Amino acid sequence: MDYTNQKQPQNYSQMEDLKTLDLEESVSETIMRDLRMIAYKLKYVLIPKEQEDNGKELRNWDLWGPLIFCLALAMTLSFKADSTTSSSKSDVFAIIFVLIWVGAFVVTLNAQLLGGKVSFFQSVCLLGYCVFPINIEALIIAFIGSYLPFVVKLIPVIICFAWSAYSSVGFMASLVPPHKKKLAVYPVFLFYLFLSWFSLIV
Amino acid sequence: MQNFGSNNDLDEKGHVMTDQPKIKVKFEPKPKPSKCPICTIEFYQQFFNIEQRDVYMRVRCSILSWKPEFHECVGKNSDLWGPLWISTTIIFILFAGGNLSRFLLEEDKRHFKYEYNYMYVAVFLVYAMAFIIPIILGVIIKYILKSELGVFDIVCMYGYSLSVYIFVLILCIIPYNEAQWFFLMCGLANSTIFLLVNLRDFMKKNKQTLLIAVPIITFNVALILCFKFYFFRLIYAVDD
Repeated sequence: MDYTNQKQPQNYSQMEDLKTLDLEESVSETIMRDLRMIAYKLKYVLIPKEQEDNGKELRNWDLWGPLIFCLALAMTLSFKADSTTSSSKSDVFAIIFVLIWVGAFVVTLNAQLLGGKVSFFQSVCLLGYCVFPINIEALIIAFIGSYLPFVVKLIPVIICFAWSAYSSVGFMASLVPPHKKKLAVYPVFLFYLFLSWFSLIV
Repeated sequence: MQNFGSNNDLDEKGHVMTDQPKIKVKFEPKPKPSKCPICTIEFYQQFFNIEQRDVYMRVRCSILSWKPEFHECVGKNSDLWGPLWISTTIIFILFAGGNLSRFLLEEDKRHFKYEYNYMYVAVFLVYAMAFIIPIILGVIIKYILKSELGVFDIVCMYGYSLSVYIFVLILCIIPYNEAQWFFLMCGLANSTIFLLVNLRDFMKKNKQTLLIAVPIITFNVALILCFKFYFFRLIYAVDD
């Protein structure tokens, strides 16, 4: 007889626990659950009000979300890139892809070297999720950018850049001692500036 | 009625444990025996032992380059934060600013083609200038010319000497030839004077050590020539 005590998942970590038990569900159900997990984390990271427990939810890091947003951004921008030379599409894709992963790696390494006690993948996960606003801005500019004057294009770029930077700065600044906060935060700012610049110019 | 699992023990979360152990994979870095001390994070942590105020003071020392105060500012506490992020900022400015400068000159703005090669060249050029060249010079200075200065002290000095270029390259976006040359010359003078003034004590020792000024000046001149002739080259339309 099976006396296992199965409750309905109250929070995300319990949902993860159940995940290890269900090996016979259909593929679509697995995918939907992964997508719901990504959406949950995204809401958690980007909407500051959701963070009541000081970032503990981020301990359940995953790299699917960052990968999806990185690919989406790279594909949007390379799709929009100048098509007269075939190499610029692949240039843009390569630059964005490498920039996001190497950039997240270096920014996290910087925080660790400054004395921050953080799990490496937790930080890369957060930085990857915070790329989502840049994705939104890239899509806006890709579809309606050619009809707008430059100054009007700057508005969504600045808003999304500020949103990304603000979401990740809180977490990064909390990792390091107080006198080193700006040293940990400046690379994050530079990272999102690079990405926003790309979505603006392509 | 209470529900009992097949094993009545509770785990640390208060869940009733089942027969199936839950397998969770956690990545926990294990401390490695240091066969290669330079490869560990702990080795480099000593170079990030600075505060925001220190960085500000060092950049200030670098911009006011004629005052030989850099060694007093740094003391024994060379850092790598400055060289790394100053050079990365310069790469961004070269890429964005170089293309922006060409864009401002372009007549047909709708069909402007962005040059992505600027990114690759900027990364190679700036990181070579900020890390590879100072490491080579540092090894020569420390091991061949027998100085008290370490390799990382030289890397730190070179990194901060590039900080003036952040301002210079932003000004170089202005698409006028004479203005760009003027700003680049100011940057060259500032950066070279900074390096020479702070190595003055070392160079005064004998004729051999004085010769170290030659590669320093040469590399700095080569750097601004690369800036001008690759990133900020101005191609004027010729009217016949």
